[in-house]
Formats: sequence, structure tokens, C-alpha cells
Amino acid sequence: MIMLSRVAERLYWMARYLERAEDTARLTQAYTHLIMDIPAGSEPGWDILVHILDAEPFFRENHRAYNEQNVLKFLIAEEENPGSVHFCVKAARENVRTTRDVLPEEVWEHVNELYLFSQENAALSVGRRNRHHFLEQVITRCQMINGLLMTTLCRDHAYRFIKLGALLERADMTTRVIDVGAGAMLGHERLNKAVDPLIWACLLQSLSAMGTYRRTIGPLVEADAVVEFVFRERSLPRSVRFCLDGIRRELVPLKNHEAALKVLDRSRRSLSRFTADTAEREQLHNFIDRFQLELNTLGSEITSTWFTPGRA
Amino acid sequence: MNNNWKTYNGSKAGDFYDELITDTGGPRQAARQAVKLLQELSSEDMAARRGAAELAIREMGISFTIYSEGKNIDRAWPFDIIPRIIPAKEWQKVSHGLAQRSRALNCFIDDIYNRQRILADGLLPADIVLDSGNYKPQCAGVSPRFGTWAHICGTDLVRDRDGKFYVLEDNLRVPSGVSYMLENREITKRVLPELFENYSILPVDDYPSQLYSTLASLSPRALRRPCIAVLTPGIFNSAYFEHAYLAQGMGAELVEGSDLFVDSDDCVYMSTVDGPARVDVIYRRIDDDFLDPESFREDSTLGVPGIMRAWKKGNVAIANAPGSGVADDKVVYAFVPEMIRYYLNEKPSLASVKTYLCMNQPDRDYVLANLDKLVVKPANESGGYGLMVGPHATRAKRAEFARLIEANPRNYIAQPTLSLSTAPTYIDDTVEPRHLDLRPFILQGRDTWVTPGGLTRVALVKGSLVVNSSQGGGSKDTWIVEDNG
Repeated sequence: MIMLSRVAERLYWMARYLERAEDTARLTQAYTHLIMDIPAGSEPGWDILVHILDAEPFFRENHRAYNEQNVLKFLIAEEENPGSVHFCVKAARENVRTTRDVLPEEVWEHVNELYLFSQENAALSVGRRNRHHFLEQVITRCQMINGLLMTTLCRDHAYRFIKLGALLERADMTTRVIDVGAGAMLGHERLNKAVDPLIWACLLQSLSAMGTYRRTIGPLVEADAVVEFVFRERSLPRSVRFCLDGIRRELVPLKNHEAALKVLDRSRRSLSRFTADTAEREQLHNFIDRFQLELNTLGSEITSTWFTPGRA
Repeated sequence: MNNNWKTYNGSKAGDFYDELITDTGGPRQAARQAVKLLQELSSEDMAARRGAAELAIREMGISFTIYSEGKNIDRAWPFDIIPRIIPAKEWQKVSHGLAQRSRALNCFIDDIYNRQRILADGLLPADIVLDSGNYKPQCAGVSPRFGTWAHICGTDLVRDRDGKFYVLEDNLRVPSGVSYMLENREITKRVLPELFENYSILPVDDYPSQLYSTLASLSPRALRRPCIAVLTPGIFNSAYFEHAYLAQGMGAELVEGSDLFVDSDDCVYMSTVDGPARVDVIYRRIDDDFLDPESFREDSTLGVPGIMRAWKKGNVAIANAPGSGVADDKVVYAFVPEMIRYYLNEKPSLASVKTYLCMNQPDRDYVLANLDKLVVKPANESGGYGLMVGPHATRAKRAEFARLIEANPRNYIAQPTLSLSTAPTYIDDTVEPRHLDLRPFILQGRDTWVTPGGLTRVALVKGSLVVNSSQGGGSKDTWIVEDNG
């Protein structure tokens, strides 16, 4: 089975953008709920979402104030922001357009429909009234496409690069979700103790992990336990550990995987050495920053090994 | 008989040959069953069948979208549900003539790039060929496998008022449309399945396999499954979906220029995730000029640097071979019957349209005296550019062409105006005659193969002779039927 480097690259990015669209929708959804739960006056600012996604430079191109309207417009509808839900959906579609011949037919149809939906509704869904329905739809449709891929795609190179893209993006986004927890409390040192569990519960919800947490860890939502769970629970599909293990499984059968595996294993080691101590929030935040850089290095390694050999 | 057909006069209607109805108003022998069935359908049923066809096109139509100004536009694909029917016995002769023509054209191209016997023997003037922009000096001295250059040929045929097929032109560069031929049959099977009960219709869906065998026979390496790639200019090309369709149908790789490279061993490789993979045969759907920036246009980003080098060394086969366009020329067209006699020592079995070459004094005098009856075409343009249809042209236009011809006689040819045949076509609520042509595809590798039928294009605008889809043209399913008494 031959897989062109260009096709592999497009499949990988299709998966990354689909995952990013879904995860951004999840994060935005959860954060909106959180803000509504926290008593007025002590709620964290909307700016945190922009910081978490490392998107300040893009944001400042078009906006000054970090208010709800601006931030949500930026995250949902703005086409120039490579992190916005609409941008991701559009980019995923562009990648499918030219790889349709290696994908099950329905994938194009569903991705195209998702795009048309986003095209029509994104700009109208910035306000709280329509926001929930829009984000819910994006999440559901992304999951449908993923389900379609998982149940119809032959387990060959195409599947492998799609998995790599999705898992790498998800690992990155999960660390950002935890960073919300750390970030929300930065500068809110003496925050009301009652608010803390609310924040962490909200983050668990954004990862569809609340139920599993309760069953596995217990009913009480505690910061350290949540961080440990979301980072290192090997059975949780959105945990960082689960994603890294999955990436390893897909890398192993590929030719010339040595360099990428080396980078991956370094990340896996730093993850296992890490101890959750949310009391040291600054430290947690710094760890996450370093870890995201390692994931970036892995992404570059994948690109130079399989997508642009000889061009690097 | 339903109302739709009430006013249909067939060949009685005018000075045209009708494909299905004779001049006494009855159906032709081969079309009898189909016409009977279609005439028995109620008007509502006819409309329902058309609706079903439109639905099927929308469903399949996803594969026929075009891309323009960053947006995705669904190309309306006008399809007429009434098939065009040609008896197999008649088709056999046409098919033989097409194969013969393709063989002669290939002998000609091979001769021109090698010994140039035909020029030495004075059958046609050397400057016509060698000064033409379609002659590529970069190809001189190359001998592709089987002496075949134009492996895929799309020849346009029309039927004149005498009911005879004439060759209008041979497309030897990157002829397209074959995917429409395949899809048209799929649609007819869905919407008029009962028509198939009483007929034995030659199947067309064999095309991708035949194309695969043709291409595989060109492979420089003796492999059980040589590596075949379809080279597309990319998503922005309007025929992109045909490229993807054929690649998928053949199990070949759909590649863009940037996927391929030529290594120091002068072989062509594609970049894959498992490392470079050698390519044996390239079915290219980009023009010569863009194929190799080292040999042709330097600014081409669509092609592959060094691919000509690899081809000349015989390390890769390219279909159609670069330079094949030398035989795809209006002046050269006039000499094809001669070529058939010269190279094959056979009698041409398909008629060509009488062609006057303005470079010859007697022809020129005739053309200038009869501009109101002729179609004048520039020799080197394609796609209907700079053409004059005498009977429809203004006096001023004819005067302009007279000047053009006298200034540059070599660049012009003239042909009599043909009366394209018609076929019953379902327009709004009535069945009306519309003009059509036919593009069969001829494959030539180790063997020669001709599509049973081809793509029928129909001018949907009343009285129009323009069948191009961009200008109000549609298409019809084309049946070659075995006579059953």
C-alpha cells in the first residue's frame, strides 16, 4: 500500500484541525458554563481562553478589550484566527477535498456539511443564546466523522496518519485544559475555596471525563487528583498519557521512526516524572509550557521524516 | 403516444439526419423498442424519470463540482434521459476506422520525430509540420514502446445529412470527458431500467480496466504490477474529478507535480511515507508546455524537473507522449487519409471532412470565392477560437477573413458547413430535435481498443451547433446495440 507524503500530510492535518475544532468547542462550552456558575465579581476573565491557546498576537490584530463578545467572536467565527472553530473546520475540509480518493466517500459529505453548517452559523453564534447549540453541533458532528473513520477506514497508513494527527492535537489541547485550571487561579491566589472544585469539575466535563473521574477516583473533585487523572490515567481517552501511548503505537510500524520515537519517549519520561502539586501553580504552568514545546518538536519531527523528506 | 412526442418529426423536420426517427416519422430499426417504450410513458412519468435522473446526478454530482475563486461550485450537469442508439453492425465499421486512424497517426508522430520518411517522400510539406508550435524538437530521436505516442485519443465524430459519420478532429493531447460517458450509463440504468430488458447493449464500464492494461503495457520494467500514476495539475483544474475518478478506477496513484522527482539515476520517483517509490508509467493530464521546466516552460510549477530526461532514457513511460500534439493540427488533419495509405497501405474506412488548405493557390481561390458557404478555421488554434462560420457570418466578418487568409494563407483551412444530426431530446414538456456529436476514445498500447460508443454531447439550445458544456451543451447516454431481428 503506497501512501504519498503529500496525501499523508493532508490526512494528518485534516485530523488535527478536526480535533482542534472539537476541542476548542469543548473548552469554550465548558468555560461558558463555568462563568455562569461563579458568583459575579469573583469569576475569572475571558482573556484566559486566549492566553491558553497562545493566541494573543492574533487577537490583538483585531481587538483591544478582552471582553466576552470579542473573545468569543475570536474563538468561534473569525476566519483569520487559525485557532477559531470556523477556521479549523474550513481547513479540515480543504485537506479532505484533495484526499477524497483515499477516504470513505461519506467522510467528504459529512465534513462538507459541517463546513456549510459552520459557514452559516458561526458568526450568529457568538452570543450566549445560540452559542451552546452551535458548539454542541460542532462537537457532535466532529464525533460523527471520527466514528465514521474508526468504523470504515482500513487500518493502513491513511489510518495511521489520521490517528497521529488527532492524538497529537488532543494531547496538546488537554494540557491547555489543565492550564485553564492553573491559569484561572494565577492571580486569584486567595480565591474562594468553594470556587476551586467548580473550576476543576468544569474542566473534567469539557473532557467528557466527569463520570469516569467519579467512578475511578471518587466523588470529591480535588485539584491534585484531577491533574493527576487527566495527565496520567492510561485508560482515559483524552488523557495525555493515553494520547502519547497511542502515538507510540502508530509510530512503531512506520519506516524511519527512530527520531520521532526518541522525541516521543522523552515526553513520556517527563510525564511520568511529573508530580501533581497544584499548590505550586506557577510550576504547573511552567511544566505545561515546556511539555507543549516537546509536543511541537514531535510534530516537526513527524513533518520532516514523512511529509517533507529531502525538502527539510 | 404521450403528448411529449406529438410534434416530433424526426428527419422530416429539416435537412438533418435524425438518430432515432426516420423521415417517414417511424423509429429506426435499432431504436424501435426504446422509442415505443418512451412514447408509452405518460407525461408525468417522463417528468418523474427526469427528476430521478437529476436526483441521481446530485447524489453522484458531488464528484462533479468545480472550484472557482476560492468557492466550490456545483456544476450543473445537463443530461438528457433519451439515449442515443447506434446499431452494433454500423458501429463495427466506425470502430475499425477509428483504430485504423489512431494507428496511422501514431506511425506519423513516430516518423516525424525519427526518420521523417513522409517528409522526404514529399507527401506533405516539411515546413507545415516542423514550423508548427505543436512540433516539439525536444522529442526528436525518441522511440517510445510499440512506436506509440498517442495512447489515449479522443476523436470527435459528427453525422452529416447523408447519415454518414465524419471525423471532425482528433484530440491527441489530454482529451477529457470519458468519466461522463461512464456516469451517463450509470444514470440510465437507474432511471430507465426497463429499457435494458429488450436490448443487448455493449457495456462501457470496462474503460478503467482497459486504460490500466494499456498503461501497464508501456512499463519499462517487467513487473506484474507496475507503478502507475495519474499526474493532475490539481484541484483547481476543472477535470480534477475525472483525474481522481480514473486513478481510483485503476487503483493508480493520483499525483501532483510536487509529489514526483527525478533522481541522479534519471528515474522518476514519488515521495511516499515509506521513502521514494519508483514510477513506471505516468498518465499525465497536464499539457506539454508545463510538463518539465527544464525542457519547456521554465516558470511551470505543475510539472516535474528532469522528467523529459527520464522519459528519453526510457526509464519512465509518459502517456500521451510529449510532442503527440504534432498530429493534432488542422492542416495535418487534411493529410490523415494519405497517411493511412502511406503507413498502413490500407484504404481509409472513416470519412474526413473535405478540407481546403489556403496555402495552395487553387484551394485558396475556391475558399475566397465561397466564404459564405464554408467554415474557416485557423490551423493552430483549438477550442473554436478565431473561427468563422460562413453562412452565419456578416459581410464585414467575411471581408475580414478574406484579408486574414491573404495575409497568412498557411494559417487557415476551410471546410464545408456540415449539418449535424439530431436526436429526440426532452426539453421542458416536449421532445424536440437537438444537434449532437460523438467523442469515442481510442486506447493504444500493445493492443488497440475503442470504447463501444463514447460521449455524446448535445446542443440543448434550439438550432445551436455548439455542444460544449460551458456553452449550453449537455450529454446523452450512447448505446451500441446488437441487432436482434
